[in-house]
Parts: sequence; C-alpha cells; structure tokens
Amino acid sequence: MTAVRVEQGGVVDRQSEVSFTWDNRHYSGFAGDTLASALLANGESIIGRSFKYHRPRGIMSAGVEESGAIVTVGVSHRRDANVKATTQELFPGLIAHGQNAWPNVRHDLGAVNNLMGRFFSAGFYYKTFMGIPPFEWGRKGTGIWMQYEKLIRRAAGMGRASRDPDPDHYEHGHLFCDVLVVGSGPAGLAAAGKCAEQGLDVLLVEQDFEFGGDYLNHGGSDSIKKRNDAVDALQKAGARMMQRTTAFGLYDYGVAGLLQRVTDHLPNADPHLPRQRFLTVRARHTILATGALERHYAFGNNDVPGIMNAHAAVCYLNRFGVLGGERVVITTNNDSAYATASNLAQAGAQVKLLDSRRQVPDSVAGLLNTRGIELETGTTVLNAHGRKHIKSVETAISGGNHWRRGMDEECDLLLVSGGWSPVVNLLSHRGVRPVWDSNNCCFVPAETAEPVTTAGSSLGIWGNSDCEASGLVAADSAIASLGGQSVSVSMPATGGWETPLEPLYEVEIKGVTKKSFIDPQHDVTADDVRLAHQEGFVSVEHLKRYTPLGMATDQGKMGNIIGLALMAEALGREIPEVGTTTFRPPYTPVSIGALAGRAFGAHFKPLRRTPMHDWNLQHGATMVDAGLWQRPWYFAREGETITEAYIRETETTRTSVGLCDVTSLGKIAIQGPDATEFINRVYSNAFAKLPVGKARYGIMLRDDGIVMDDGTTWRFSETDYFMTTTTAHAAKVMVWLEELLQMRWPELRVHVTTVSEQWAGVAVAGPKSRDVLAACLAEPATVSAEALPFMGVVESTLANGAPCRIARISFSGEMAFEVYVGSDYANSLMDLLYPRAMQIGGCLYGTEALGALRIEKGHVTGAELDGRVSIDDAGLGKMASETKSYIGSALRKRPELQRTDRPRLVGIFPKDRSETFKAGSILCSPDEVEGLGEGWITAVTHSPELGHWIGLGFVSGGHEAWQGKVLVAADPVRRGNMYVEVVSPHMVDPTGERMHG
Amino acid sequence: MVDQIPTRVSALQGHLQAGHFGTADTGVVIREIRNLVLWQIAAWPDSIESVAAGTASDAGVENPPGFGKATGTESVAMLRVEPLKFWLYGAVANEQSASDAVVLDLSHSRTHLRLSGPMATTVLNSFLPLDLRESAMPVNTVASSAMHHVGVTLWRSPVGYELFVPRGFAVSIWELLYETSLQYGLTVE
Repeated sequence: MTAVRVEQGGVVDRQSEVSFTWDNRHYSGFAGDTLASALLANGESIIGRSFKYHRPRGIMSAGVEESGAIVTVGVSHRRDANVKATTQELFPGLIAHGQNAWPNVRHDLGAVNNLMGRFFSAGFYYKTFMGIPPFEWGRKGTGIWMQYEKLIRRAAGMGRASRDPDPDHYEHGHLFCDVLVVGSGPAGLAAAGKCAEQGLDVLLVEQDFEFGGDYLNHGGSDSIKKRNDAVDALQKAGARMMQRTTAFGLYDYGVAGLLQRVTDHLPNADPHLPRQRFLTVRARHTILATGALERHYAFGNNDVPGIMNAHAAVCYLNRFGVLGGERVVITTNNDSAYATASNLAQAGAQVKLLDSRRQVPDSVAGLLNTRGIELETGTTVLNAHGRKHIKSVETAISGGNHWRRGMDEECDLLLVSGGWSPVVNLLSHRGVRPVWDSNNCCFVPAETAEPVTTAGSSLGIWGNSDCEASGLVAADSAIASLGGQSVSVSMPATGGWETPLEPLYEVEIKGVTKKSFIDPQHDVTADDVRLAHQEGFVSVEHLKRYTPLGMATDQGKMGNIIGLALMAEALGREIPEVGTTTFRPPYTPVSIGALAGRAFGAHFKPLRRTPMHDWNLQHGATMVDAGLWQRPWYFAREGETITEAYIRETETTRTSVGLCDVTSLGKIAIQGPDATEFINRVYSNAFAKLPVGKARYGIMLRDDGIVMDDGTTWRFSETDYFMTTTTAHAAKVMVWLEELLQMRWPELRVHVTTVSEQWAGVAVAGPKSRDVLAACLAEPATVSAEALPFMGVVESTLANGAPCRIARISFSGEMAFEVYVGSDYANSLMDLLYPRAMQIGGCLYGTEALGALRIEKGHVTGAELDGRVSIDDAGLGKMASETKSYIGSALRKRPELQRTDRPRLVGIFPKDRSETFKAGSILCSPDEVEGLGEGWITAVTHSPELGHWIGLGFVSGGHEAWQGKVLVAADPVRRGNMYVEVVSPHMVDPTGERMHG
Repeated sequence: MVDQIPTRVSALQGHLQAGHFGTADTGVVIREIRNLVLWQIAAWPDSIESVAAGTASDAGVENPPGFGKATGTESVAMLRVEPLKFWLYGAVANEQSASDAVVLDLSHSRTHLRLSGPMATTVLNSFLPLDLRESAMPVNTVASSAMHHVGVTLWRSPVGYELFVPRGFAVSIWELLYETSLQYGLTVE
C-alpha cells in the first residue's frame, strides 16, 4: 500500500496528534480523522473480512455506505461490533479490532471458505442442510437444522457483541421545529440558511461530525469558506445545528427519528452524559438534503483491497489529506470522475482514467490535459489482480454491445464510479416509491403531498452550485407551506453533467467466470442474482430474501441498483419494471440501548409506591409487584419463611387484629346531581336507594355480560360517592366510566375523578379491630357497633388530628374497617394503629395473608374475574337486579351465559387433607385426565382455620354437580396430579357472622 | 378533640436532598413545593362561566383562565385542566351547590416539582412530547401529558415549570429527572 498523508491540505487538525490502536498495534492520526482515514494514512490495507467467503477487504468508501472496513470498536463491555471505520471519528485511545476473522484480518483461517466459494452460492445453506435427512425418508429435518444453524451462524456473520451488561446509559428526547433540514451539504446549508433568515425555527442535522457535506470534499479554500460562512450565518440566525446526528427514519405527520451520538467520539466522557440520544422530532416541514452515494459496478474481484469509490479518494485527499495511492486507475461511465482524476494528479499521483463511453467531448476530456493524465475511452476494468492489495487491473475494450479483453494496467489504487444513487431512503419510509430517471440511471424521489421537500443531489442534481440553488428553492417551498411568502423559482434540472452517463452495471466476457460482487457487504455476486432468477426468485422482494442483497447494515445502499439491473436483464425488462425494494428505517443502525433510553433496570417501568412504602419497609415488609405498584407481600419475623409468616399473619388476623396497606385499590370520586343514576346504571346490583353514610358491594359488567370489576362504593352525600375498584382494574374502570359519560350519557351531570393517589388506605381486620381503631380516633365512639354498623361509612378525625374516612367493610371475612387518610398523613396513621395493634397481639399482614383470608371466604379477585366469568359463574347472580337496566343486563341473559353446565366458582379441598395442589391446575374427571377438563384452579393457600390446603376454582356445573365426587387436579406442565374434592367456595364462616358481629 | 393536625410527609422525603449534583454548571434547578394545596372545581356546561368567575373572585385571581391556560401567580392560581374542570392551586375551594359545580380536594394526590434554569426545557423534553418552545407554550400555559408512562400536568408559571406528578410515581419520576439533569448540573433547592 502506498497511501500517504500529503504534507498539507485537508481539514484535519495537524497540530493535534491522536494515538489509537488497531488490531493491537499502535498508530497515530490527527484530530478530524476518521478511523478509516487514519488507517489509510498509516498504510493499512486489509481492514475487514467478508461475510461469507472471508475475503480480505479494504476501505471501499468514505461514508455510511462502507462495505469493507467494518470493524469492532472498544473492548470488554464497551465492545461495539460492526462499526464502519469510515464513520468512526478518531479519538485518543480509540481501540479497534478487525472482526469475522481468526487470528486476525490479515491472516484469517476462515479464508478457506473462499476456496470452496463455488459451492456457497445463494441459498446454499437452505438447500444443503434443510434437506437432511431427505424429506423422502419421512422425517422432518428441522431439529437437525437447528444444530447446523448454530455452526453456520458461528462461521458466517459479522462481529460479536459483548455479553456483558451495557455500562453506558442512553436517553430519549423530543424536539420541535418549523423546518427540519437533514444534511448539511451545499443544498442543506442553503436551505437552512434561507429558512432561518426568514425567522423560521430551523433544526439542521448532520450525521457526520463536521458540517459541510460535499463542501469538505473539495480542495481549495473556496468550498471551506462557503461552508464556514453558511454555518456562521445559521448560528447567528439562531438555527439549532446538530452534528453526529442521523435522521434514521421519517414517520407520520412530520415526525423524524434522530440518533445523536453524544460520547462515541470522546476518550474520557463525562459519566453524566448519555452515550447516545434517541430523539423524536416533530417538524412542520422537512427538507431532505441527504446527498447521493456513488455506485460501483460488477467486475472480477472488484472487492480486492485498494479498490474504492472514486469520490471517496477525493474525500480522503481533500478532507483528510491522505492520497490513497501513487499509481491510480479510475474506471468510470460518467463525468464526475474527471474532477477526481484531476485532483489526484494534482496531488502527485500517476493517474489513468478509463471511460467506458466511446465518445467524450473535448470540454470534459480537456480537464485532464494539463495534469498528465492518460485517458482511454471505450475502456473499462474487467478484472482486478492482487491477493491482499490490488496490483493491476485487466481492462476490457468496448466492442459496441460486448466487451473484449484489453491490456493489463499496474496500479496500487483502483477507483470506481458507476454513477450515483440519490439517497431516497427517508422519503421511501413514507411510502413514496422513487421513480427511475433513465437519463441519470438512478431512482429519484417522487412527488409527495406531505410537507417534505427534497433538495440537492438527493434529488439527482449533481453540481454543487445547482445543489445550492435547489436548497434555496426547497427553502421557498417550506416557507410557502408554513404561510410565508413564496418566491417563484424553479428547481434546477436533475443531472448536470455535460455528457450523459452510460449505464454500466457489470462487465463480463463470456466464458470468463470471476467473482464480481454487487453487494460486497453480504458477499452477493452477480452470479447469485442470475441463480436466484434461474430458480424462480424473480420478484425483487424475493431476490432480497433469497440472497441477502441489501440487508442488514447496508440496507441497499451499495448493491440495490446493480441487483435490479441484473434481474431486469435476466427478465428482459427495464429496471423500473422490475421495481425497487422498499427502504425501511433505520437508515443506519440504531443501538438497542438508544431505543430503551432510560427505561431499563429499575426504570424499565415506573414504580408506584404507596404512601407508606418506606414505613412498610422499615417494619420488615418484603415487597411484591402488583401491576406497577409495590405492595407488602409478608412481614417475616426473624427466621421465618414466607409460609410461616403468612400463616401467622392470617391466624393473627382471624384471632386478634391485622393491619394491611390497601392503598393500591382504585379510588374514584363520583360527583354531581346525577351521580346516583350513573352508578345505578353502571353496577348490576341496586344502588338507587343506597343511603348516605352507607357503602355497598357492587359488581359491574361489560356490555357482553361478563364481569368487569367489583368493589365497594361509599355514599357521603346526595351527590358525592367514593368508589373503590380492584388494584388491577383501577385504570380500566376509570377510563370506562369516563367513556360512558362522554360517549353514551353526556346528559348526565356527573364528574368522575381518580383519587387513588389522594387517599392512603389501611384495612384494620380481626375481632379486635374496633378496639384498635377506636383508640386511634379523636372520637372513639365513631366506630361503635351502633354508630357504624356493617357497611356503614363515616368521615372522622384521627387522634392526631388528621381527617379520615372509615368504612366498616370486610375482605377478610372478619369484622374489619377500611380507614383512609390524605396520603401525606399515611405514616402518621400507621404510627397510631401499629403500636395499639401490637399491644393486643396484632400484626401487619401482606398480600399473601390477604390472599389466604379471602380464599377461605371465597371472595373473588382478578384471578377469578379474568374476563371469561359471568356474574352467575362467580356465584353472585342473585345480587344482579332483575328490574333495572344496567350495562350488561341484556347480554348476561344470552343463552350461552345461562347454561347450567358453565364452570362455576367452587372451593377445593385435597382428598387427602395432608396434600397440596397448585393454582393453574386443570380439573379433570378421573376417567378423562386430558384436554381442557371440567374446570381450573385459580388460587390456592394453606388455610390456618381449616388446617389444610384449600383452593378456589371453576368447575362445570359448580358445587352441586360435583358434590361427593372426586376430581383430578391435573398439572401436566409442572407434573403432579392430585385428587381433590369440590366444596362450597365459602369455606370459612359461610354465614358471615364474624364480619357482621 | 385535637387542635393540631400532623405534619404532612412528602412522597420524596428521604429521596430528594438539597445540594448541587452532576456537572459544575447550573443548568437545572429543581425544587419540591411541599404541602400542596390543590382543589378541583368541576362545573357543568351551563354553569362553567359563572363558576369560573366566582372561583377567580374568591381566590383573588384577576380572570379565570381559558382552556389550557392558567391565571394568577406562582402562589395562587387557577388552571383550566379540562374543558369543565379547574384546578385551584394554593387555596381551598369554597363549597358549591352541586347544580353549579362539585369540588374535590386533590392536595395529597400530586407531588409538585418546580423546574427552572436554562436546561429545564431540555430535561423535561427528555420525557415529555410537548412543544415547550416559548411560541407554543408561553407563561401560564397548562398541559396534560405523559412522562415515562405516567400522566402528569405541566404549568408554565412565571417562575418556572410547575410539574404535578401522581404521588405514587413521584420517586420514580424524581429519579429520572435527577439522573437526566446531572449532565447539565443540577441544583436541588
């Protein structure tokens, strides 16, 4: 390799030397280099190994379209695979390694694949391995394929990600602007500048770490001055400008997705900074100035290190001050390569230009005269020679409609220009299919009705002056669409070369077989496309899936057009008839961490704490997730297991008193003159005559007659109710009530408001609950049996002065109260109740004991009310009104829900009382232990009251149908069938004496 | 009878500490306004105007706000949070006849954070999909939105962003605001 850093030129900071490591060797570059430019300047040639054949690959471009120099950056837990060296900004201490090679990219044992390459054609793995054993043998090969697949994946593919947790953090953000300009080249800067001048709020994003786009690639101070002036003007006009930020996707209503790389270029980043930001921009108008990518074409060994896009060489020379070779051959089919040749020759290279066109006007050819550049027209490259680096090329001479072999040319750098492809990806994300421009042999954006304007070379306009002009026109379009004054200037014509491009997608001579790549990133060759066609994969979408053409990080940037052209040729059609694949987001890869943002680990979902959360923890609670809430699960004493703890808590509550944090119950204020009517329509049971100062248990149904939720509703005045819901359905019920008021009964004067966060709640349950609660009130008599009978509610004051609400209701089956205080008083409530409860042998209890208590009583929760259960199934049908109309009243009467053999709520005992069984078991008749059985078990517990295991569940026909019979609780997944008996669900105190007492 | 009521305990007690955190800059200042007094007044279509005027007069607020707006000061203000609902911030709502409006105490339901500083907008926009530019959200604008899946209310008062977070989620949201603000330099008052 003879690439050298030239003595002057470029926009790198030569005063600022940067040390870095490549494949365990130390190198240096300059600030402003990419990893690729620094490696090139240091004479490194082989940077990668190809996907399938492990062929050596060098730097093939200078941007996101890179297919060769794909590397791993960082080490250990910061290892980032599949980074394109051409976009990785150099920073001090950067460590990069080659990937997909062993022991390294220079000497890779995997290269043996290349020797067997003729067998590894498209579909090789599927055809070879999925057919073993042959289907004719009648055995499926899937299981064996799963084994092969592991080996194949290990042999092929890209780099390996770290298995360690990502040490960095990421964040999301939302941005708003009048005009989003994507790309800061000549068109983008011009567009942004004009919009900003007009006072519009402009956001300019650039994926590179420097603004300027193609301005940076041109030698001389004029381009840089233009860039600097434009950037200064934008800053003065107050435009927001973000470099290192890729607009990776364009979505509905002016939404664009951005990935901002915040610290990827910093050696010792502030740990407070996120590594990357995932930003959602909402723009009123979007200008796409995303540029164009130079294409290569297919010829033999067109992937040898030392072959790159022609314009990349100009970029390396003029932006980074690196001359890619001394003896340069440029092969082209268009005018753009002439300036490239001139630039390289001026920098001292010996240049030969091969133009496949047989005629080139003097005005174009004349560009070369003064530079000593050799020009051969009607000539192109047929084959490249060189194992680890290009040594020479074999030329082909045009014979009109065929090629014949020409001379060999020695070279150390081969530059290819097969035309340019506008970057139409973002518009394609919007479903706008690009149209074929036959003059320039490229797809260009189609018209769109959305507020999106394309400018510059992404529109197929090649000259920088025309690009600037197009940017101004795009700005006018944006200004007009935003209500400003439109200036009638027409968009410059597409193209801009003096002589037309001559289509060139592949050079081959009959009988000469060489590997000629159309998608080097995935080792897809021209022969692969022909094979796909031969095997019937004629649709572009099928072609893409049969071969990996344009997949993964490439996303069709390099090989799509050539693939289409070859398929069109095979089909005997024109390219636009074959179509194009749809580009989808992201334009370049987005890390999973950026997608997650801060929503990971403890913040994967928001944690909802009750007001006594910390108090519960201080008093020994082990917490459990209940939806987003965390609730006390159990309060183990020293040495206690969870089982011992919940049994003790259950027993204590049944015999003395227990305190349980029930704040997570949903709470809804229902207020207004029509509140009674509203509640009466929502609940299936009667509410019209609920007296003030009373609560009632209510069941609400869905329209289809299935139970939605249950809870109690308390009446504080003629117009003021307090509804409680289950923890699980709080939000759903709230939304449901709002929907009913807004959509069905807007005439009702009712307001519903969630007050779940306003009130902290504690259940005080057990035979001594009244004693404990009374001692904590300013007026103890408030909760006497006379003053507060069962289902009574009252507003009162705690002994410490905090206002409270009390209802005498019971979930445990014991005499019990629910006490609510303003959430900021929750700790003070617990500080009052707890010592008094402890004085008389009471305890705190958690959800495990709560569950045991309610299962003993046969009280249903979300486990039973699972969206399949009717009110009759739950054994509560007698509560439902037969006289009023309510939500679900008609459809609960439908025949399916009236069937007497529907699964009904039952209690379950093990036949052998010393045994246990599991929730989720299927209840089967002993003579048919298979299939869906006769029912299922929803909840199980040890019952301290009964002294054995019990459960709740549903079984066909209910308790009556199975009385005295034995069922099998089948547990096919966890293995373990158990004989059980069906009993009434009210297993403890079935008459309710305790709670009424 | 008792004469006093206990001290209110914030959801952030023990979680939010005063001081300076993160980088040396002061990009963001966050202050928890404790002992929130917040009442909801919900009226009916035919009474909303008179209820609004009466509430404003009672609270000493010059004019009742239009939808999505607030009037008053950073101490006492009316926020129009829904077409038929106001929040009265900093004062207790008077009783109303239910035929005109219903009132509801929400003082314990929210945790109130005030964000200010040059990067406060950026920090909020790390979560909130709201256009907070001056042109879209001038002082005394009110918006309901979601922050990390949690419904929040934001009022841009004369002294900063007033963020009302459901109390149960306050610690989670505080932790996220804290972590995000460190990069800009955070002062917790």
